[in-house]
Amino acid sequence: MSSALITLDNIAKSFWRDDRAITALSPVSLSIQREEFVALVGPSGCGKSTILNMVAGLLQPTDGRLLYEGKVVGDLNRRVGYMTQKDTLLPWRTVTDNIGSPLELACHKTPKAEREERIRQMIELVGLKGFEKHYPGELSGGMRRRVALARMLIYDPETLLMDEPFGALDAQLKLVMHDEIQRIVGLGRKTVLFVTHDLGEAIALADRVVVFSSRPGRIKAVRAVDLPRPRDVFRIRFTPRFTELHEELWDELKDEVRKGTDA
Amino acid sequence: MLGTASEAGSYERRAVLLWRYCLLAVLLCGWEAYGRFVDETWFSRPSLIFARIVTWAGDGLAVHVATTLAEMAGGLAIGVPLGTLLGLVLGRLPLLAGIVRPIILGLYSVPLVTLAPLFIFWFGLGLMPKIILVAIVTFFLLFFTTFSGAQTIDRDLIDNYRLLGATRAELVRKLIAPACLAWILSGMKIALPYSLIAAVVGEMLLARAGLGYLLMNASQQIDMTGMFAALFILMLVGVAVGESVNWVERRAMRWRVLSN
Amino acid sequence: MTTQPLKREHTTLAPAGSQSSTVAQWLRRTLARPTGRFIAQIAIIGIFLAFWELGSGPILPRVWVSTPSAIFARIVFWIKDGSLWVHLAATVTAAASGYIIGSMGGIATGLLLGLSPRLERISGPFVIALYSLPKVALAPFFVIFLGIGVESKIALVAVTVYFLLLYNTLDGLHDLERGWADAYRIMGANKPEIVRNVLLPGIMPWIFSGLRIAVRYAFTAAVLGELIAGNEGIGFLIESSAGNFNSSGIFAGVFILVICSVTATQLITRTEKAVLHWRN
Repeated sequence: MSSALITLDNIAKSFWRDDRAITALSPVSLSIQREEFVALVGPSGCGKSTILNMVAGLLQPTDGRLLYEGKVVGDLNRRVGYMTQKDTLLPWRTVTDNIGSPLELACHKTPKAEREERIRQMIELVGLKGFEKHYPGELSGGMRRRVALARMLIYDPETLLMDEPFGALDAQLKLVMHDEIQRIVGLGRKTVLFVTHDLGEAIALADRVVVFSSRPGRIKAVRAVDLPRPRDVFRIRFTPRFTELHEELWDELKDEVRKGTDA
Repeated sequence: MLGTASEAGSYERRAVLLWRYCLLAVLLCGWEAYGRFVDETWFSRPSLIFARIVTWAGDGLAVHVATTLAEMAGGLAIGVPLGTLLGLVLGRLPLLAGIVRPIILGLYSVPLVTLAPLFIFWFGLGLMPKIILVAIVTFFLLFFTTFSGAQTIDRDLIDNYRLLGATRAELVRKLIAPACLAWILSGMKIALPYSLIAAVVGEMLLARAGLGYLLMNASQQIDMTGMFAALFILMLVGVAVGESVNWVERRAMRWRVLSN
Repeated sequence: MTTQPLKREHTTLAPAGSQSSTVAQWLRRTLARPTGRFIAQIAIIGIFLAFWELGSGPILPRVWVSTPSAIFARIVFWIKDGSLWVHLAATVTAAASGYIIGSMGGIATGLLLGLSPRLERISGPFVIALYSLPKVALAPFFVIFLGIGVESKIALVAVTVYFLLLYNTLDGLHDLERGWADAYRIMGANKPEIVRNVLLPGIMPWIFSGLRIAVRYAFTAAVLGELIAGNEGIGFLIESSAGNFNSSGIFAGVFILVICSVTATQLITRTEKAVLHWRN
């Protein structure tokens, strides 16, 4: 427990809407180890994104404590990188300028030469060589995701928070991105919290899968994914162990999804 | 937007209300004090202005307000149907629209209120020039709104309805008419404030009645109290006009508000 | 239950062997093309002008509607005796000065209110009340305080433009993608950095949209001010023409006004395209 990087200790979250309290998250406890890849799966509205926001320090829990490296997350957590499903690239900046934006800020201030070098490395890492001077409006969806990825990684955060980052991509592109993520995360020894609807995606990528119930969210099931690494994301879906895990977890998940649609 | 999501509860609302009342009180008291103890020739003071409004209310204010409103209503009655009709018709006739719309756009580039002297020249004193002015302004605004609306009727939606077996009449009633209502309302939202402006401009140039006339009348006698009184009433009318459209919209377009 | 299909809008092929339909087809095709449309428009305008020129007199009193040639002659007259330039300069000065003052003020206030949600909430009803007031109503006040000269017109223009830009700037701040600012906060940006990197560049499209729309209103306000009480400017030309029952003068003045307004708007649009080039 003490070696855990992130600890959710009976976290709960309620929102106010028109003077009514809506419980988004009922008490949830979870601990995430360093360099662990944890996937959060569940129906819409069950609070998975809320957890990410709390780890990032964008929201405060209404109950319980959230600890990052043993300390309560007060204001913004600068040790994390965040990648959302929505495109948040600044449309008036080129690929280079977008990727380099964290390094212009006071807290990551880097001299120009070094900044340019690191940008160059990032562009190569995500495979966008040749597109340095392009604007996001000129890029395809997949390429924009890669720019967002590079922007997130360039200041070397130790934890990555990813909220359905590949949701808008088509199936083939998704697999390609899975492969990239796996490689990058392995290289950088990052801790990852990955939110997704897609159970298959979760099992393919994660060390542990956490299944949430529908709102108000609780943890319904946690399973370790014992598939060996490095994984071939293109073929892993066809391995027997994958199918077993998928069936187990799908049983837990499908009731919640159905409940969500009845609401 | 820059801070963490603020969960504004009733405390915040009460604080805001309190600040608003304070602001208003400071404004009015300061004004009154300045008028009483320093100089009331240039800016008058709230008590005098209020007294004047009361006097007017008992002595013909209603006529002036009614005049302005009548000019607006008359113009709207002409401009809204004509503009809507043309917008709908051209919206469904792309060929004709392609030719005619740029011309209409060109005509709209004329600042319409500056034609007020022309209409006064043509129709003289009285309500007519203002009504015409309001009618023309409203016509253009409603035309543009309904025109773009008519073009954006979701083709898929129409096809769906037809596949389900809708007759032409049902199609119009269930799909097209509600959409039209939405466009007309959105056009009215813009048109109503403009019709007030047009009416007032006309009255300020030449009139015997109306809020603009009240204002100019007072200004010609350098009657600051009267001017502020007229201004205040104009402001009230402006707010009322704006809110009335919102109210209608909220009632008629419930489904849209809910889906938001 | 029979269903009646709606008539399809796109062109249907005429049944084979019908003579008139080929003409209709050709017409449809040419009118759909830009050159065809342009010719049709020129034709329409030309016919309208011809009607105006010839019909004025026989159909409607010439005094009332004037003719294109008379309007043109009036403009030439004004050019020759120099009054066009004098009055044009007055209006343009009023419009431009008021525009600059008003837009800077409006943008600044918009930013102030946008950056402070509480201030915005507090000032809400006041802004709505001021916004609902027809700004022309302030013209007499400005004349009394600033005289009949160009200053009162500048003030009127400034107030008109001020509210437009205030509204647009606030709109921009509200509609700005939350995600952008959030992404920057996660990266570790502090508030000034977010304002500089996300907010200010981000609202540029809205500000330019406001600037573009405000040009027309600046000219309108200047002319209205001159119409109500002035001794120079295009509005003065219009008003004195009206006073002399000279409809040509009114039309001529309005025409000149349109030229100014359109030219100035084009200028802003060009600038907008250049600055916001990333919008391809």
